[in-house]
Amino acid sequence: MPELLRLQSDFAAALRQRDQSGNMQRWLAGDAGLADRRLAIYRGNMVAAADKALSAAYPVIRQVVGDEFFHGLAREYQRGTPSASGDLNDFGAAFDAFLARFEHVQSMPWLPDLARLEWAAHRAYGAADAPDWDAATLGAVDPEQQSAIRFQWSPGLAVIESPYPIVRVWTIHQPGYAGEFSVDWDVPETALVARDGFVVRVTGCGPADAAFLAASLAGQPLGDAAESALRLHPDFDLGALLARAIPARLACGFTL
Amino acid sequence: MTAATPPLQGTGIGLRQPHYREVFERRPALAFLEVHSENFFLEGGASMHALERARAAYPISLHGVGLSLGSADRLAEEHLAKLKRLVERVEPALVSEHLSWGAVGGVHFNDLLPLPHTSETLALLANRVDHVQATLKRRILVENLSAYVEFRDSDMTETAFLAELARRTGCGLLLDINNLYVNAANFGFDPVERLAELDGATVGQIHLAGHAVVDDCLVDTHGSVVCDPVWDLYAHACARFGAKPTLIEWDTDLPALDVLLSQAARASAIARREVAHA
Repeated sequence: MPELLRLQSDFAAALRQRDQSGNMQRWLAGDAGLADRRLAIYRGNMVAAADKALSAAYPVIRQVVGDEFFHGLAREYQRGTPSASGDLNDFGAAFDAFLARFEHVQSMPWLPDLARLEWAAHRAYGAADAPDWDAATLGAVDPEQQSAIRFQWSPGLAVIESPYPIVRVWTIHQPGYAGEFSVDWDVPETALVARDGFVVRVTGCGPADAAFLAASLAGQPLGDAAESALRLHPDFDLGALLARAIPARLACGFTL
Repeated sequence: MTAATPPLQGTGIGLRQPHYREVFERRPALAFLEVHSENFFLEGGASMHALERARAAYPISLHGVGLSLGSADRLAEEHLAKLKRLVERVEPALVSEHLSWGAVGGVHFNDLLPLPHTSETLALLANRVDHVQATLKRRILVENLSAYVEFRDSDMTETAFLAELARRTGCGLLLDINNLYVNAANFGFDPVERLAELDGATVGQIHLAGHAVVDDCLVDTHGSVVCDPVWDLYAHACARFGAKPTLIEWDTDLPALDVLLSQAARASAIARREVAHA
């Protein structure tokens, strides 16, 4: 192994585990005790980077659990799931799975779904801008072909289903929220995450609409997606959904 | 390497999100704005829109913090591909990276970790810089690092290393005066002597920033005003190398925009004075 690779492997081990810094000492110049204290600066930077990146992606969870506990979560998450990218915007994709198994948050079983919602919002923030689309072109589709329409949904659009009131929890933690703070924990909610211009909006979405959108987002044509929604939810109303989604620019094109 | 844009002169500041609106409304007289490249590895949305607005009004300097030029096992090609896309989109006046590493075995520390200054490292860095410059189709600047540990194997100074890297690859240097000062204090050397190891023609940009003092160590925080010894060292660099595009770099505990602008004005005044006397 080249010397530099050995040095970097030892450096990495010393940062990730304090008791693994022994191999690092042989590379360092100067006083060993001093060098060891200074390695701690890098260790602090490492945890601070995780905290900062997760705080940017998960601001609601940070508020819910408090800054200090969140810092602990960031350190634990990083220990098991270190960053795999030089771009910290990518850090935190598996935070939901971590929260689902981390024993000290089991009293908040809704936290993983809230994390999925926040991650979807984080990705939607930097998603491509929706192209301009004249929805009137839909009217020109031959009625016989309508069931073959595949909608292009606005980039970043996501549907997050949960047995918990995640939309409510997200809403009451938004900056400037001025309403009351009660939460009925027995209400299941599905979140629709979508960009509106440059703003990421999170709204509630009924289970039938969610089933349709999930199928359509997965690439199913209109007819199949509507059918699968109707099978699960006989009250599904495609016309009503499109009448809301198109003016809201959730759909931004289609192919046949 | 082709010079796609006219050479930059004067002082700029880092553009950070809390200042977007005020910068766009006031349009302060600045030579350029600098952003961290990785903050704009996005397809669209508010951040990209802000960068496009900034680009319409100012030359842009893209400063990378995550490419990890010195990682021994691999260069992250997917990261470089994102940087290439951003460079094509923004057409920046300057593109810079650090003389550092940040990842090994697929684990990223998202930090600027120091390298031993050896011939092995120099050969690796020269290859990487050649590859990056060929991919981006332009010259890049490589920045000296602030560091808290030094390596036994180093057999040249960081400045001598950078001077040789510039000679081998044609890259330019981003001379961070605060980093040089921090290292001089942490490792006990004379920063003025180190400046003498550099060829002024290779210095493409200067960074000025604040640091913190933690116990027995100076830590590069980019969270305060430039200290007096760093201003003095900057004056010395201007006298020696001539005026270079200079950045006031501030990332944590961001102050009011006017604080950055007054630091920038001070840098401009020093550069004018030193060049006039030279």
